[in-house]
Amino acid sequence: MMPWMMVVLAASAAAGATALGILPLRSGRPASRWMAWSSALAGGLMIAASFALVESVPRSTTLQMALGAVAGIGVLHLARVAIGARDIRLHQLDAVTDTYGRNVLRVGMIHAAAEGAAIGAAMAQDIAFGVFVAVALALHNVPEGTLLGAVLQARGASLQRAAVLGVAANSGQVILALGTYLALLRWPAGLALLLGFAAGALVYLVLVDLLPDAYEGAGAKSIALTVVLALWTFGLLHGVLRG
Amino acid sequence: MSATWTVFVYGMVTALATALGAVPFAFVRTVSARVLSASNAVASGLMLGACFGLVAEGTAIGAWQTGLGGLAGVVFILATKRILDGHDLEFGEVRGAGARRMVLIVVVMTVHSIAEGVAIGASFAGGAVLATVITTAIAVHNVPEGLAISAVLRPQGASLGACAWWSFFSSLPQPIVAVPAFLFVDAFAPALPYGMGFAAVAMVFMVLVELLPEAYEEGNRANVGVLVSLSLIAMVAFQRLL
Repeated sequence: MMPWMMVVLAASAAAGATALGILPLRSGRPASRWMAWSSALAGGLMIAASFALVESVPRSTTLQMALGAVAGIGVLHLARVAIGARDIRLHQLDAVTDTYGRNVLRVGMIHAAAEGAAIGAAMAQDIAFGVFVAVALALHNVPEGTLLGAVLQARGASLQRAAVLGVAANSGQVILALGTYLALLRWPAGLALLLGFAAGALVYLVLVDLLPDAYEGAGAKSIALTVVLALWTFGLLHGVLRG
Repeated sequence: MSATWTVFVYGMVTALATALGAVPFAFVRTVSARVLSASNAVASGLMLGACFGLVAEGTAIGAWQTGLGGLAGVVFILATKRILDGHDLEFGEVRGAGARRMVLIVVVMTVHSIAEGVAIGASFAGGAVLATVITTAIAVHNVPEGLAISAVLRPQGASLGACAWWSFFSSLPQPIVAVPAFLFVDAFAPALPYGMGFAAVAMVFMVLVELLPEAYEEGNRANVGVLVSLSLIAMVAFQRLL
């Protein structure tokens, strides 16, 4: 298989994982505690992915990486401000106005864009490493799908439709992953910059969306334990695979 | 000066460097909810960034040892919190939840210094040049750690002197542990990855269970997100460039 096909496959699998998040909705809307824990788990996975991205950058290009990270944080912040979702809370399943539904979808697309850049940059570094990052982000897409599905369901959409919309909102990550990967083939010097961009973007999203929503739905101790569990598992896996 | 004394003095220098972290707080006088939130956010970012480095170094020596150390870190924080929750704490003038948070960050940062003390002692066994490099690196990297401690203590009402003292105190294990680590390096060196894993997870857990929830409560999530992620990246870059 050509490497670029691997990129498309991994990014599509990560985007497709969103549909799995719809499954729990078949037996009714999950309790807000469960939504909170899923967000915490997803947040931990995303921080672990950004840790892996940062650690894959050689020390000699640390400055480029840091510059990229600052750009990633800045771009995502501006994007959120631009769509008018600066302080949006994603767990308001009962606030089903049109604007809210649209904003949840838009924020989902911003997440997908950052994830796409992460997968593409990681793949350009090393295919196996790219798969590792894609797996972490795919796992994180599952609870994101549940959330999106619950919001759409509350607005009267069928579960199939919710699944299709969820995957569609995330499909941007396939294009961004491929674009980032191909751009880096032509411009390898930008690798550290883009790895940093992705790492900064992912960390920012965790702190601005996933964690605050998580704390609102469950106690701080259980949230902390869930995030640590995800970080610990992926940190260990990262260390073992690398060693 | 005997080699043992040299190790102790170097360790003391790194501990004193931590107190420098209090300096920026000479300029913070009013303590509003916004300052409290921003300080907690910066402290969180610095500590999370420090953990990236610890986990990377620890797993480079031994992934499983680092992981085991991490589990001990979770147990340690849960136990410490339980003990602290059972007492009506006072920290200077502060009582209640604020005091608990202050005690917890001093305890966590002090315990995490033990691993750094081992690193200093072990580096002396590797020759004078290596020792100077490692000691300088640890001294410089202690400054933002002092900043993190002061960022938690100062907005709760601690004086500038108290911030400097507790920052320094949190690094005292460095000179104390460096000496035996230097004398019995063969016995101490294998403990390093466990210690790094322990320190990293204890810090992450402390950030998640105490600092971030308060940051979100007192400020808005967009500002917290920007501050935490920027200070995280700054800490990571800073440690890697040393």
